[in-house]
Amino acid sequence: MKKILFSLAVVLCASASYSQVSILKGLELFGDLKARHIGPALMSGRVTDIEGHPTDSKVIYIGTAGGGVWKSQDGGVLFNSIFDGGLQELPQSIGAVCIDPSDPDNTVWVGTGEVWTRNSVSIGAGIFRTSDGGKNWKNMGLEKTERISAVEVHPKDPKTVYVGAMGALWGDSEDRGVYKTTDGGATWTKVLYVNATTGCSEIVMDPTNPNILYAAFWEFRRTAYSFNSGGVNSSLYKSTDGGATWNKIHNGIPKGNLGRIAVTIAPSNPSILYAVIEAEKAEEKGLYRSDDAGATWKHLNSNFELTVRPFYFSRITVDPKNPDIVAKAGLSGSISHDGGKTFKGLGMMHSDIHDIWFDVNDPEKLFAATDGGLYRSLNGGTTMEMIQNLPICMFYHVSVDNQDPYNIYGGLQDNGSWYGPSESPGGIEARDWNSVGYGDGFRVYPHPTNPNIVYSEMQGAEGLWRYDKQIQQVKVIKPFPVQGDPKFRFNWNAAITTSLHAPDRLYIGSQFLHLSNDKGDNWLKISPDLTTNDLSKQQQESSGGLSADNSGAENHCTIFTIAESPLDANMIWVGTDDGNVQLTKDGGKTWTNLTLNVKGLPAKTWCYHIEASVHDINTAYAVFDGHTKNDMTTYVYKTTDAGKTWTSIVTSDIRGFARNLQEDRINSDLLFLGTEFGLFITIDGGKNWLKFTNGVPTVAVHYIEEHPVTNDIILGTHGRGIILIDDISPLRQLTPEVQAKKLHFFKTMPYEMDETSNFGGSSGETQFVGANPSTSAKIIYYLSSRHTFGKMSLDIYDENDKWITSLSPGKQKGINIVEWGFNSMAPTVATGKTIAGGAMFAPRVPAGKYKAVITKGTEKFETIIEVTYPNKSIFTKQERLQQQETVKTMYVMTEELAYMVYQIDEYLAHSEKVMKENSSLKKQALKFNTDLMALKKILVITTGDNYVGAADKELREKIGDLFSTIGSYYGAPSTTQLKSLTMLQTDFAAAKKRFKEIQIAQLAKYLAATEKAGFVSVTMKSFEEFVKKN
Amino acid sequence: MTKFFLFLAFSFTSILSFSQTAEEIVATYIKNIGGSDKLKSITSVQMKASVDYGGMSIPIDMVSLRDGRSVMKITFQGQEMVQMAYDGKTAWGTSFMTMKPEKNDAEETENIKRSVGDFISPLINYKENGYSIELLPNETMEGVECFKIKLTKKPLMIDGKEVPNIEFYYIDKENFVPIVVETEIPSGEMKGNISQTVYSDYQEVDGVYFPFSMMQRLKDGEGQTIEFEKVVINQKFEDKIFLFPGE
Repeated sequence: MKKILFSLAVVLCASASYSQVSILKGLELFGDLKARHIGPALMSGRVTDIEGHPTDSKVIYIGTAGGGVWKSQDGGVLFNSIFDGGLQELPQSIGAVCIDPSDPDNTVWVGTGEVWTRNSVSIGAGIFRTSDGGKNWKNMGLEKTERISAVEVHPKDPKTVYVGAMGALWGDSEDRGVYKTTDGGATWTKVLYVNATTGCSEIVMDPTNPNILYAAFWEFRRTAYSFNSGGVNSSLYKSTDGGATWNKIHNGIPKGNLGRIAVTIAPSNPSILYAVIEAEKAEEKGLYRSDDAGATWKHLNSNFELTVRPFYFSRITVDPKNPDIVAKAGLSGSISHDGGKTFKGLGMMHSDIHDIWFDVNDPEKLFAATDGGLYRSLNGGTTMEMIQNLPICMFYHVSVDNQDPYNIYGGLQDNGSWYGPSESPGGIEARDWNSVGYGDGFRVYPHPTNPNIVYSEMQGAEGLWRYDKQIQQVKVIKPFPVQGDPKFRFNWNAAITTSLHAPDRLYIGSQFLHLSNDKGDNWLKISPDLTTNDLSKQQQESSGGLSADNSGAENHCTIFTIAESPLDANMIWVGTDDGNVQLTKDGGKTWTNLTLNVKGLPAKTWCYHIEASVHDINTAYAVFDGHTKNDMTTYVYKTTDAGKTWTSIVTSDIRGFARNLQEDRINSDLLFLGTEFGLFITIDGGKNWLKFTNGVPTVAVHYIEEHPVTNDIILGTHGRGIILIDDISPLRQLTPEVQAKKLHFFKTMPYEMDETSNFGGSSGETQFVGANPSTSAKIIYYLSSRHTFGKMSLDIYDENDKWITSLSPGKQKGINIVEWGFNSMAPTVATGKTIAGGAMFAPRVPAGKYKAVITKGTEKFETIIEVTYPNKSIFTKQERLQQQETVKTMYVMTEELAYMVYQIDEYLAHSEKVMKENSSLKKQALKFNTDLMALKKILVITTGDNYVGAADKELREKIGDLFSTIGSYYGAPSTTQLKSLTMLQTDFAAAKKRFKEIQIAQLAKYLAATEKAGFVSVTMKSFEEFVKKN
Repeated sequence: MTKFFLFLAFSFTSILSFSQTAEEIVATYIKNIGGSDKLKSITSVQMKASVDYGGMSIPIDMVSLRDGRSVMKITFQGQEMVQMAYDGKTAWGTSFMTMKPEKNDAEETENIKRSVGDFISPLINYKENGYSIELLPNETMEGVECFKIKLTKKPLMIDGKEVPNIEFYYIDKENFVPIVVETEIPSGEMKGNISQTVYSDYQEVDGVYFPFSMMQRLKDGEGQTIEFEKVVINQKFEDKIFLFPGE
C-alpha cells in the first residue's frame, strides 16, 4: 500500500508540475488567433525546382527558396501550398522535389535547403516524404545536410533512393555527398563522399538503367564577407552499379580547378549527356556534351548565358522527346535546338532562372523557375507568362504607417521595394501594391507624419531614395563621402531608420552612423567607425572563386541595425554585422562598445537586431545571428542596465537562428521572435517560448512589427510574403490565472461598426488575393478544456435583456474568437413562389452595450461588449434615429405581411381540401378560396422563377427592396424613399382591409359549415409564435 | 480514496492509450457512441437543424437511410426545397434559379453511390465496405491531443479518373470521439484545398451519441456551423421523399 501511495504521490507531483509548465506552453495557447496571408504575389519570389508527374503533366510540383512546396493539379493554372506543416516542422527552403516514378500519384520526396547559394539563402533540415500526394509528410532523416540538391528514386524499387547532399554552405561538414537508402529512408549510407568542403550538387539517373548514376561534386564556401566557388575537388562522377563504386568521367573536361557543374541526361537517348562547367579558363567554361554516356566530352559553347554565375544558375534540361533541344537556366535563360551548338534567349520574364521543366507530353509547353516566380510558355519558350497565385515573395524587412487602413512597406530579394494596404475592397490584390524602389529591396520606411513620403533603398545603399508619392518625385538622398572621409561601407541590406522623436530625421549606417534632420537632404556623421574595420573582411573584389562575383552581397564590417530609444532621442543603439554592439547616450557625441558585456556570445557574431524597449529606457534586446559562421545557435539577449550586463532569454523551445525581436507596447513580458524556423512567442518575458503555428509555416521570419493602433503583428517573411496576426491583444491578458478558469472572457476595446461599402475588387480566380481583416465585433474567451459533450450556445442580448441573435460559439481549448457582424435577425418573410431577395436583410443594431451569454450545459457565462458608430462617420445622430425608426417600421410591415400570407395559405389549403372532398361545400369553399387567392396575388409573387422568368414584383418584394435599401445605408432615408414607403403602407393597409372584409363576410360562416361537415378547423399560430426566432 | 483510485485508473488508461492500434481506437469510439450492434440496428436518421445565413436562421431537415438514400431539405422564406437528395439511383437537387429539380452530374451520382455504406459514420462498417484505416502520429486539434486515423474509402471518380478517397479522423484522446474530420477537396476550383468538419455538442439520442454541432471550413479559414435541434432514429419515411420527381 505504501508503494501505491508513493507512486501515486509521484504521479500527482508529476502531474502538478506538468500543469504548471503546460500553462505557458500548451499548443492550445493561441487557439483562434490565426495568421492572415496577404502575399503579395504580383512579384512572387524565388522558385528553386520544378518537378512534373511522369505521365500526367497536369500535376506539377515546385520547390521554392523560402516558401515551401506548391502543387498544381491543373497544368499550372492554380497552385496550392502543400508543405505548410502546421505543428510539424517543415522547413520552407527547398532544394529538390522528386516524384516516385513507381507511385507518382502519391509519393513525393522533398529535400530541404536551397542549393542556389546566394548570401541570403535559407537552410533546410533534411529530407521528407509524403505518401498521399502532400497531405501528410514524414521526416526521413539527413537532418544535418543543410541543403539537398537532388533526389532520385529507383523506378522499380521505391525503397531505393539516392540523395545528393550539397551540405553546409558556411563551414566544413561531413554531412554531404551521395546518400543511398534501400529501405525507403529508414537508414542511409553515404556512398560517395569527397571531403568536408565539397558537396554533391547534382545527381541524375539513367532512365533506362537505374544502376547508372551521374553525380556532380562542388567545392564551395561562403562567409559573411566572401564567396568561393571551385577547387581541385569539384568533379563529375559516374556509377554503373547503383552507387557502389564511382569513377570520375573527365575525359574532355578541363584540367585544373573546377567550380560548379550542371549535368543532365537526354530522356529520349540516355547516351547523350550535357554538362555545364565552371572552369579556370574563360574559353573552357560553358557547355559540354557527351554522346557516349560520359566516356568522352566535347566543349560546345561558352556563351554568357551558359557561364554566368554558376553558383546561382546551374541547371540544364533536355526536351523529353528530342535530345537536341536543351534549355539552360541563367540570367535570362536560353534554349538550343541544335544539340547545344547555338542558343537563343527565352522570352521576357523575370531574370535569374534556376530551373526549367518541359511538359512530358507536349514539350512546347515549358515552365521556368525565376527569382520572380514561376513562368509558363505554351510556345517553346518564345513568350512567357507569369503564374499569378504564388505568394512566395521574400521580404527582408517591414514597416507600417498610421493610415486607416494602415499600409505595409518592405523590400524584397530581387524584387524591389513596395507598399500596400492591410485591407482593400474585395481583398488585397496585385493592383493595391505600389512600387517604391528598384533592384533588391530592403528597408522601406514611411515618413512618420507625412503620408506622402517614403524612404527606400537598394543593395549596398547604391540607391537611397526619398519618394514623394503625391507629386511623384524621386530624390536620391544617399550620403556621399566628403573631404577626409574614407569610402563608406554599406551592408547589402543597409540599416536605415526613422525617428520617433523628430519626424524629418533619418538614420543610415555605413561603418559610421549618419543622421539627417531634413529628410535625407543633408547628412551628419555622428559616430566614428563603429565596426571592427577588419581589412581582411573587406576584400570583396576578389570574391567569387573561379567566377568573380562582386555584387555587393558580401560587403562587411558595416552597421546592420540602428535603434533609437522610444524614450530618449539621444540614446541610440547600433549593431554591426561583425559583432559590435555600440551605444550613445548623448546623440552620438560619445559611444560605448558594449560587445564584451554580452557573455556567452561567440566573438564577431552578427548583431542582427536591437530592440530598444518602449517600457524602460535602460532595457533593450539584442538578437545575434551566427549562421554565416556556421553557427546555427539562437542568440537573444536582454539588458536592463543600458548594456552593462546582458542575459540570454533563449530556451530550448526555440528552433533556428534568430533575426528579429518585437516587444509588445503594452505588456513588457510579451515578445515576438522571428527565427529561420518561424515565429516564436513568449508571454512571460522569455521564460517559455511557444512556436506560433496557426498559419505561420516554418518560414524564415526576417522582421516583425506591431501596429500601434490595431495591435496587429506584421511579419516580413523571406518566402511567404507578409503574414499578419490581427489584434494580438488577448495575449496581453493571458496569465496562468486566466488559463486556470473554466471560461474566461477577455476584455475588448469598443468595436466600431464599419459603415464603408464598395464594389469589391477586380482579380480573377487565377490571381492571388490577400484576405481582409474581419470588421466584426469579437467575443473572445479562453476555454480551459474543449467542449465536446452537451449543448453550448452563445446569445447576444441588448442592455434591456432583449434577445438579439445567436452565434455559433467556438469550443476549442484555448483562445476562441467569435465574430458578430452587428446584425440582429432578419424578419420573417412571406412565402411566395419565388425568393424575395430584398427582404433577406438583417438590420444592424444601434451603438451601445450588448451582453454576450455563453450557456454551457447548466452554466452561464456573461460579458459585455460595446459597439460604436465610426468616428469618421458622415451621419448625424438624428439621421441615424430616423433610419432606425424607418427600418423598424418596415421590419414590422414585412412580418405582418408574412403573417397575413401565412393565414391566407392556411385557409387556401383548407378550402382546397374541402373543395376536393365535399361537393356540397364546394361553391362556398371556391368563393372563399378565389377571394383569398386574388388577395394573395397582390401580396406576393405567385408565378415565375428566380431568374429571367421572374414575375412582376408584388407588395412583399416591393417592401423588401425598400427595407434593405434603407437598412443598408446608415443615414436618413430620402424623401423619395419615404414617399415610396407611404405608398406601400397605403397599399398594405388596403390589403389588410380587404383581408378583414373577406374574413368578416365569409370566414365564420365557412368555418362553421366545414366544421359541421366534419372537417378539422384551421389551427393558426399566433403572430408572436409565427415570427419567433429563438 | 476512491478519487485517488479513479485518478490512478485514468493514468493507466492514458498510458495504455499510447500503444493502441487504429482498430482499437475505432472500436472504442464505436463503443462509446452506442456500440456496434445498436448502431447497426438503426435504419434511419432524421436530423433537424438550422444554419445562420447573415441573420437568417435557415431550417434544414436531413433524412438518411441505411440503404444510402437521403434527402436534405431547406426552408427558405417559407418555401421548402430539396438541396440534395439521392433516391438509390439518381442524385438531385433544386435549381435555385428555376426552383425545379435537376439531376447531379453522373460522376457526383457515382461518388454518392460509392459512399452508400457510410450511414452514420464510415468508421462503423469500414471493414465490410472494404475501407482501410491506419494510425498516423498524434496531432493537436482544437487544442487537444488527438489520434489521427487515416480512412481510405472506395476511390472517387473525378474527371473520368479514379482518385483516392481519403479522410483523416482526429479522435479526441480523452473522449474517443472524432472532433475534426479532414479531407482534400477533390474537384473544382478549390481542388487541392483541405476542408475540415469540426464536431461538438455530442448528445445522446435513444442510446446513441450524435454530434449536435458541425462546423465546415477550409483549413485555417472561417467556418459555417450547422446546429442540430433534434435527431430522431428509426423512423419510417415514404419512398417518394427521396425520388427524383422529374421522371
